[in-house]
Amino acid sequence: MKILSVLLRIEVLKAVKRKVFWVAVGAFVVFATIPTVEGVRNTRRNPNLAYALPESWPDILGTAAMGPGPFFVAVLMILLCAPEFSWRTGRQNVIDGLSKERLYAGKAIVLAGLILFFIATPVLIGVGGTLFSPSEGGPAVIRSTDLSYMGGLALILLFFGSASLLLSALLRSSGPALGVFFLCLIAEEAVTGLMWRTGERLRAATQYLPFNVLEALGDDLVHYPEELAKVNTELAERGSGPWEFLDLEVLAIAALTYSSIFLAISFLSMRKRDL
Amino acid sequence: MHIIQTSDLTKRYGTHVGKSVLAVDRISFTVEEGQVFGFLGPNGSGKTTTIGMLLGIINPTGGAFSLFGASDPKGLLAARSRVGATLETPNFYPYMNGRDNLRIAAAIKGVGRCRIEECLELVGLAGRAKDCFKTYSLGMKQRLALAATMLNDPELIILDEPANGLDPQGMREIREIIGILASRGKTIFLSSHLLWEVERTCSHVAIVRKGRIVTMGKVKEVVSEGTSVLLRAADRTTLAGAMERYPEVTSVRCTDDGIVVGLSSGDLASVTRYLAGQGIYLSYLAPHRQSLEEVFIDLTQDNADSMTKIAS
Repeated sequence: MKILSVLLRIEVLKAVKRKVFWVAVGAFVVFATIPTVEGVRNTRRNPNLAYALPESWPDILGTAAMGPGPFFVAVLMILLCAPEFSWRTGRQNVIDGLSKERLYAGKAIVLAGLILFFIATPVLIGVGGTLFSPSEGGPAVIRSTDLSYMGGLALILLFFGSASLLLSALLRSSGPALGVFFLCLIAEEAVTGLMWRTGERLRAATQYLPFNVLEALGDDLVHYPEELAKVNTELAERGSGPWEFLDLEVLAIAALTYSSIFLAISFLSMRKRDL
Repeated sequence: MHIIQTSDLTKRYGTHVGKSVLAVDRISFTVEEGQVFGFLGPNGSGKTTTIGMLLGIINPTGGAFSLFGASDPKGLLAARSRVGATLETPNFYPYMNGRDNLRIAAAIKGVGRCRIEECLELVGLAGRAKDCFKTYSLGMKQRLALAATMLNDPELIILDEPANGLDPQGMREIREIIGILASRGKTIFLSSHLLWEVERTCSHVAIVRKGRIVTMGKVKEVVSEGTSVLLRAADRTTLAGAMERYPEVTSVRCTDDGIVVGLSSGDLASVTRYLAGQGIYLSYLAPHRQSLEEVFIDLTQDNADSMTKIAS
């Protein structure tokens, strides 16, 4: 436990002293605040619109957290991890007495901290916003579906963070790591398009590609079956086919598997390669 | 007590036979408690790689080593808490000030804040501790690295080129700090190009070339190892050429005074007999005391392959 507190202390010190960290945090807080302010203002203008818990959880979590959140986590992970190699400060940490495994554990703590922060911030801002809203909510503050959505968000952030940690550990420089990260996003779009056109079987397989899994996991309809049923009824009335997603469990397992693979490879890379 | 012990320690970069580089080739040495051990070699001879393996940042591809008698990963991690080290250029967070950088090192080493101030005072950086690391001169960065090294009052201090980038005054200060640490009974492992510094500071020395130790021992023994003689004759060029063909020669070097010849045996009569047989008559023959620098150059220059064979 003592070593964990030491790792936490040094990673916090490394992060809070960097300007880019505060710029990213500030920008995200602004992103997270805008929909809440908008929601409260709309409620005051139009009493038919509600901004209250638990009904507003999808808005609170979806707008800010599902949008820029994962990108902020990815970029911050790269900016907080990759320079440890290019500046050779990770090497100095090991010379000072950390093992390579503990150096990695420090980065895992950074990842956990970022996930927590990027979930907690929109939640706190959103919940704070409901206090200023005149509308009344339901009897429960939070429902199991809201928790499911929050869990989905955590998995998405874990995926982006672990992928960034992997790129940082492999490429050891923030510029190339960021470049490859964005290239991966574009590449998967291209691969999905290609598979979609190739045939029925490959089309079905595109659902399991990483970013498609995350896209589904971040869709509030996956977590709110009643909403999905309503949408599908409307679609049926219009003569369109229903929206279908992989089971939530399958999506969660797929996201966890990808993240675990990324974390395992980055751990092995950090342990095996010379600093 | 063996503070450092290596046995056939090897590092090969790359796995392809044709493309791989053997940076450290079966190096074996021992550093005892209280020694000031100089580790010398030209650039690319494997010094930093060897130190990197001792510090756990480079994985050896062969052999073994121990620190304070520990050779298993857990034991080595504990042993490294008794070590203070710098490797190559000082590596700190450029956006942090000197004090905050030391706070990170101190947290890892488990030492308190008052020790940070003591070390900053010791290296003369107390007045600049609030300044950003990236604004420091190379000399100040070296001093900060030295301060980080001393934070945990280590029993073993490993310094890789600590005088790099320092002005003469800074070099003198580093030498004084090393002297103070040595007088306190610390074991010091020092890699340096400044041979006269090493000769004055170190008790023991190992010279590496192309990843292998070519000579090792007490500094006094190494500088007087073998026999070195100064020769003069009417024709210097003929003399040098003849001595290069002499079977017991280990090195031949032309100086302003004459030809300095290293011999593997002290049989000077054979030398005069050999040269007379070649039609060369000496006008001067005298023993020559080599400096560490001369020994280093003899052992590490490219045409010193014969010495490598003799030493190994």
